[in-house]
Amino acid sequence: MSTLGSAVRAGASALAAERMRIEVAVSNLANAESTRGPDGQPYKRRDVVLQTTTVQDFDDSLGRATAVGVEVAAVVEDQGPARRRFEPSHPDADKDGYVTLPNVDPAEEMVDMLGAARAYQANLTAIGLIRDLVQRALDLGRG
Amino acid sequence: MSEITSDSGVMAALRQQMTLAAARQAVAASNLANVNTPGYRAREADFEQTLDGKLGDPLTLTNPRHLAAAEPSGPASHEAAGLAARLDGNNVQIDRELLSMTQAAGEFARAQTALAAKFRLVRYAINEAR
Amino acid sequence: MTIDALKGRIPSGLPKVGGGDAATTPAGAGFSDALGRVVDAVESTESQANTAVSGMLSGTTDVHDAMIALQRADLTLQFSVQIRNKLVQAYNEIMRMPI
Repeated sequence: MSTLGSAVRAGASALAAERMRIEVAVSNLANAESTRGPDGQPYKRRDVVLQTTTVQDFDDSLGRATAVGVEVAAVVEDQGPARRRFEPSHPDADKDGYVTLPNVDPAEEMVDMLGAARAYQANLTAIGLIRDLVQRALDLGRG
Repeated sequence: MSEITSDSGVMAALRQQMTLAAARQAVAASNLANVNTPGYRAREADFEQTLDGKLGDPLTLTNPRHLAAAEPSGPASHEAAGLAARLDGNNVQIDRELLSMTQAAGEFARAQTALAAKFRLVRYAINEAR
Repeated sequence: MTIDALKGRIPSGLPKVGGGDAATTPAGAGFSDALGRVVDAVESTESQANTAVSGMLSGTTDVHDAMIALQRADLTLQFSVQIRNKLVQAYNEIMRMPI
């Protein structure tokens, strides 16, 4: 496995994974007040589960370093308790006047989004750096 | 010329430097990719310490086999020590990894420049001996 | 250019040729020996370059290793051409010598 090539692939996998995290955070924020979805139930916060990709053909005989990437294992629904707010005038209020709201904490979603954005940026930088190195390696074959 | 026809001497040492720098990049890239993976522990290349000591000046390297100790025969990396973990168990620090990548990139580039110069020199010597 | 000076410039790391074409004169044996070693080096570096390049294309080999293999093959070939020329030159000189 080309060492630098695997490093680029690892970075690219991170770009995809972090982008997914940002999209889910945006979706959570957008639906923070959604009391009734298509199924009639309040929106449930979604969470992205990340896991390290397993190295497939690791060539141990050469002892080459191969980079590992990251992948989205699953996007799960947060089963935590929903929020309840006293708002009798709301169309979806129950008989006690409480509205069941999605278990979304906007502050937490923002933190997740910023973390994902920072990771995205860092991996983008890394990919650029490695691409330059590969170009320099190719220059060795010149002249 | 013998170090060109039989992979040895300064050329082999420079080639090894590039390989080690590339391995460092791969480890740092793995860490950066997994900066938000729960439970992931940052790794670093095995030869991290020996590199700084031994490869200061490749021209003084008398025998490239000295690097055999640094050459990974098994896993090429180990878990980095002394890094504080966050709530999700992850201890990767973006700045530390980017710094490591920048340093490794510098080593790679320096070795490449030296190697390219070496090839040019040999080529010149061959052609001028006509 | 004497034969000894020439022999000193043959790469010492080259494998010796066993049982190659031996000319009738001692000078001839020395030449074919030297040429054999050079040819072996050319073949060796060239096959290494082929392996390295196909490895690079299939993602198995690092780019810098492949590039280095290419340069080694190229330089070895160029060197061998110079050696060949010098050997032919020297041989002709010797053949011109009055017995």
